[in-house]
Amino acid sequence: MSLLSLAVLAPVVAALILLLVKRGAAILALLGAGTGLLASLGLLRGAFLGNAPQRLMLPGLPDMPLRLEASALTSVLSVLVATVATFVLIYAVGYMRKDPEKTRFFATMLLFVAAMQALVLSADWITLLAAWELIGVSSYLLIGFWYAKPGVASAATRAFLYTRSADLGLYLGVFLLIGASGTSEISATLATTGTAAMIGGLLLLVAAIGKSAQVPMQDWLQRAMAGPTPVSALLHSATLVAAGAILLIRVAPMLPPETLFIIGLVGGLTTVVTGLIALGERDLKRLLASSTSSQYGLMFLAIGAGAPVVALLHLIAHAAIKSGLFLGAGVFQHERGSTAFERLAGSGREHKRIFAGFVLAALALAGIPPLSGFFSKDAIIAATMNATGAGWLATLAIAGTVLTGGYMGRAMAQLWQGKVEEAKPSGSLVWMGWGMAVLVTLAAVLGAGFPALERLLGAEIDTTLAAEALGLGAALTGLALGWFLPADRLLGPLLPWAREGFAVGGGMDNLVMRPALAVARAMNAVETVLYEAVFVFGRLNLRVGRGTRISDEAGIDGFIFGLADTMVRTGQKARRLQSGLIHRELALTIVTTGVIAAALFAAPLFY
Amino acid sequence: MSRDLAFLLPELTLMITVALMLVAEMVRRAGLTLLIGLAGLALAVWFTLPVLDAGTTVFGGTYRIDLLSGWAKLILLPATALSMLLARAELSGRVREGSVYSLIMLVTIGALMLAGSGDTMLLVLGIVVTGLGSFALVAYPGDDAATEASMKYLVFGSVTGAVMIYGLSFWFAGSGSTLFSALSGMQTKPLLAAAGLIAVLVGLGYKAALVPFHFWAPEAYEGAPVSVAAYMSVVTKIAAIFALAQLLRDLPIQTGWAWAIAAIAVLTMTYGYLAALVQTNLVRLLAYSSVAQAGYFLLGFVALGRGDIALLSIIVFAAAYVAMNIGAFSVVLLAGRDIDAIRGLGRRAPMLGVAMVIFLLSLAGIPPLFGFFGKFLLFGAALKAGFLWLAVIAILNSVLSLAVYLRIIVAMYRAPEGDEAAPRASPVAALVWGTSLAATLGLGIFTRLFFS
Repeated sequence: MSLLSLAVLAPVVAALILLLVKRGAAILALLGAGTGLLASLGLLRGAFLGNAPQRLMLPGLPDMPLRLEASALTSVLSVLVATVATFVLIYAVGYMRKDPEKTRFFATMLLFVAAMQALVLSADWITLLAAWELIGVSSYLLIGFWYAKPGVASAATRAFLYTRSADLGLYLGVFLLIGASGTSEISATLATTGTAAMIGGLLLLVAAIGKSAQVPMQDWLQRAMAGPTPVSALLHSATLVAAGAILLIRVAPMLPPETLFIIGLVGGLTTVVTGLIALGERDLKRLLASSTSSQYGLMFLAIGAGAPVVALLHLIAHAAIKSGLFLGAGVFQHERGSTAFERLAGSGREHKRIFAGFVLAALALAGIPPLSGFFSKDAIIAATMNATGAGWLATLAIAGTVLTGGYMGRAMAQLWQGKVEEAKPSGSLVWMGWGMAVLVTLAAVLGAGFPALERLLGAEIDTTLAAEALGLGAALTGLALGWFLPADRLLGPLLPWAREGFAVGGGMDNLVMRPALAVARAMNAVETVLYEAVFVFGRLNLRVGRGTRISDEAGIDGFIFGLADTMVRTGQKARRLQSGLIHRELALTIVTTGVIAAALFAAPLFY
Repeated sequence: MSRDLAFLLPELTLMITVALMLVAEMVRRAGLTLLIGLAGLALAVWFTLPVLDAGTTVFGGTYRIDLLSGWAKLILLPATALSMLLARAELSGRVREGSVYSLIMLVTIGALMLAGSGDTMLLVLGIVVTGLGSFALVAYPGDDAATEASMKYLVFGSVTGAVMIYGLSFWFAGSGSTLFSALSGMQTKPLLAAAGLIAVLVGLGYKAALVPFHFWAPEAYEGAPVSVAAYMSVVTKIAAIFALAQLLRDLPIQTGWAWAIAAIAVLTMTYGYLAALVQTNLVRLLAYSSVAQAGYFLLGFVALGRGDIALLSIIVFAAAYVAMNIGAFSVVLLAGRDIDAIRGLGRRAPMLGVAMVIFLLSLAGIPPLFGFFGKFLLFGAALKAGFLWLAVIAILNSVLSLAVYLRIIVAMYRAPEGDEAAPRASPVAALVWGTSLAATLGLGIFTRLFFS
């Protein structure tokens, strides 16, 4: 069995065994994820040694086999996914210790990991589509894990429908690219140029906006925090949300400048808007969720600036940092039973070690040297300064950096300031602590590995002193503002709006979901009205026939009221009187046929 | 003559089987009737394999033994077997249970006639044979709803049948022959061609439940036993669609039929899903969903005459549609017809719940399930024929369809109100949905098999 299939199949097999034996959930999950991680590392080693990429093919459609391929880029991503998954699962052993449905949890997590591996390793669009849908479905199951809690099921459905409607862009884009290039192999379709590349790129951007929670579809991610914390750490830092950015990183070589600039603008707007939302948050997990959107905005900026490798570096740094932060948040939540800041105040001083880890990750995210976030963020600023449209992109990138410092500073302040409650000893903390420690360590030191990665991916990144100084200055300003000033002072009149998530026109609900349902109801109403109209019409004729008699008996008023009554009554009877309906339906059939006939008879005039 | 009969071995087998089934029914041995039927179907499939791609015709061109009719047998005969098993699970022990099996078999023979027809007379015959059996099947429960539904189906069928036969006479007048292959000469007589085309669309559109000829379908499916609804939504529908494909292959594209088909496809998909969105009865919901799915088949039609991709995409989607639709109906049979009945099903019967989710997601066209590969090929065929707008509308409808199917899925994983009974346990039905599940899950990756 090749390493490639092992990386994808190990979690699947573990999940299946788990579903069959229904015990030993934690151990099986760790075994599956660990095996997958080793396989991924093996793939990465092969890439470093310069071996030919491993490939795997399944029959699939004629001329369009399903392919997996471990190139340099995809093996890096595979290791990233496997690493975060493994340590999040280690943490989850503690977090889910008392949950009665551990089996379901670990099995779904493993399925998700497998789907994500298939996504990053896919070498053709059909496999990618399949994996894309699978991560959508498994994330739906994971966000809705505690379905019995109020609001959880609807949050899961919302997350699914939002990303799903954006997936339309992926389908259209993929069909366009396959149609334009005649093959489903991703690397081959990247040779597409001209209008097809531009429109295809924009369509893929729509899908990426949905999955990576970018403006204007940022709203679902905060609500998706209804799931267990390990789910938030895995899905909403390193994997599900990353799918959008990964998609764009992979197709970046194809994109023409106009598309790139639009991607950059979307990212820039997101990083500022969701940064502001994060500043206004009153809940730690929701703050982290908004900050995820904001950081992915920075990655989109880097892609837009023509530096996909920089985006990848930030993706990697962010994955380690953000999952570490989520795991820290999970410990505080575990102890205080809530993630609202007013309940969490002072909990940082109860668990000093956990808080130290949280601070380390927070500083890394803000971009303080020598932590990993510093290198990737400076590279982003440097890239935007050299890009076309630098005036826009670089400004947005620096604003995003200030805001990052701001909300992380605020989060730390909220956790530290406040009164200490009695700490209770908890056995779960060991597993949770270890899972978090590894991720935070990675968050701190990953920067040292970046040059090697750059060489592997064939992109030397040069940053300038100006960019470093600007980035560091922005980060420190933000941290200071966030630590010392309360949110209402920082945001001023924007605060209520930010707390609403900058909903425009009532948000997506009003713009998309309600109209769609309204149309459906209207169709139903039309059908009902048609049913009833026929009867009313028939009765009307009868009435008119007897009209003279009625007007003799009760006068014209009685006639009108009688008619109204009859309409109501016939409307109620309509459903029972089936025999007449056939006339009506046949009539409708004939009318439609007539339209088609007219069109067909007219057709020869145009040939 | 004997050459022709050799090619007709599968059909002959089925006819003898029906005769034997009627004998078994006469001695009131329903189980035996079923067994004979299943054996006959298996034998017929076996006989089909050697002549799968013979690419020939028999009886002077009136009946085609080609790719389409060959795959029709390989797809419809297993579908018939699954439907019979489903009927066994639903109607076991009822009066005249055996008649259901014989009738189903009879309708299937008519369906094969439709799928292989190369002549307008055979087409009419196929419509009549499938129709007669189906009316009786719908009326089987004998209650008011079923009788009404059957009556409606019959009246609708009579009117559309009459229109079709009348219209087909124009083609005969134009080409001087009842053979489809003579239709190529119709290019110079566009008005006659259009008259016949309308007639065919009415007749086959009724059988395939395309909008605007679909009105009978929700009523009939609701009145009929669930297993019969599953059968009709699959076998007669696919047969009519294959017949339409047989016919349009030979009709010159200059008559403008592609645009008419595209328009009906859009109407069918959109109307079907919109109507399904507000149904609370699961059988009606699946009925409208079957209407909408029929629209997807038509996507492949616009590429007819541009290589094999059109036929193959229709065939692959037909196979996928059989697996996922019969699967979904069998779960409804076990769980109950109302959307409230399925509430909490995902927890009362986890395996059944997962199976239903997979059937529904496949119907919505989610990769990597079988339904996706079928739809993917159909989209590709439409694109190849230059109907980009049609493919885009179809993809938009796929998003809409997810809302339809997600309503069921969400209900299945809601907490049940009060204590609903666990779904009926039935090993026969489990065999049906198990088989459908395996096909829905596994066949997608092996779509290439259909191309060998």
